[in-house]
Amino acid sequence: MAQHDIEQVIIGCNKGDEGCFTQLVDIYGRRCFGYFYRLTGNRDLSDELLSELFVKLVEKIGTYRGGSFDGWIFTMASNIFHDHLRFKQRQTRLLDGHSKRIMSQSAGVASGYDGDADKLQMALGELDSGVRELVMMRFYSQMSFKEIAESRQEPIGTILSKVHRGLRKLRELMG
Amino acid sequence: MNNSANENLRELLAGFMDEAAARQTAEDIEKGEEILGANQAPQPDERVLAEVKKNVVAALRRRRTVVFQKRILGAAVAAAIVVVSVLTMIRYGNLSNSHQTRMVAASIPSRVWEGADDADVTVLKAEIENIQSELSGVQSDDTGGNGSTAVDDLETELIEVNGDMWKG
Repeated sequence: MAQHDIEQVIIGCNKGDEGCFTQLVDIYGRRCFGYFYRLTGNRDLSDELLSELFVKLVEKIGTYRGGSFDGWIFTMASNIFHDHLRFKQRQTRLLDGHSKRIMSQSAGVASGYDGDADKLQMALGELDSGVRELVMMRFYSQMSFKEIAESRQEPIGTILSKVHRGLRKLRELMG
Repeated sequence: MNNSANENLRELLAGFMDEAAARQTAEDIEKGEEILGANQAPQPDERVLAEVKKNVVAALRRRRTVVFQKRILGAAVAAAIVVVSVLTMIRYGNLSNSHQTRMVAASIPSRVWEGADDADVTVLKAEIENIQSELSGVQSDDTGGNGSTAVDDLETELIEVNGDMWKG
């Protein structure tokens, strides 16, 4: 969809038009689901996070100040994923105190598979969690490296290096 | 929109490494992204997307209700400021302290705010109730030594609440 069309939809959302919000679900729902699925490896959890994202979008749409909407929505998706990780971490600490082991579990990539994980999902599980998230952010948001660096407030060289490292390892693993 | 396709990766990488390394790195990135493209994640179930849309519409309707309630609260706070200003004038001027003024001040928030569930609205509602009780105290202490200071403080507090209200 062209940037101009997206802007029209966002203007409608700011006016509280229900049709425009459902249009955003049509435009971004599948991509955002893919992003959550590749990070968690779990369909049910991805469904939940997707719903949370769009409900939050209703609350926050007024704070969008132009620029890349893809970047804006995927930054929000990333925040929701991190909130989920923190929640799971707290929950797990309360249960058994093995916080380090749980961090990777709560990312869902190792133990959260819902049974039909593909080869790529297994390979992604081998990547460092921060690198994996960056690679997924880049692929699903279609943001440029410059935009990712701005949104993460990290130097562009660092982002380039991490994504390169992640994708090179992925190539090796997918052999 | 595809911003990642619009950027010149080799040019970007050349700022950090020599030409050969930039070419190799760009190739690694492009091939890696091809693998991602060739192994798409599963699609969400259509029922899930329909459920998401339903949740979005429900959230939007909740939000509209809260915004409406906030507007009414704003009007109530503004009315309270007028009442306190009148009280101040009564204290320092020669206006009569009419029974009607007390009636208006006492009736502001409770009629409108039953059932508000938004956190901001709840906080503002509590502040209004607090101010209302302070107002009653000030009104019943017409001859007290600190009466004028109390009225001034109350007015300042109301103006701050009103400011917060409109800031959202």
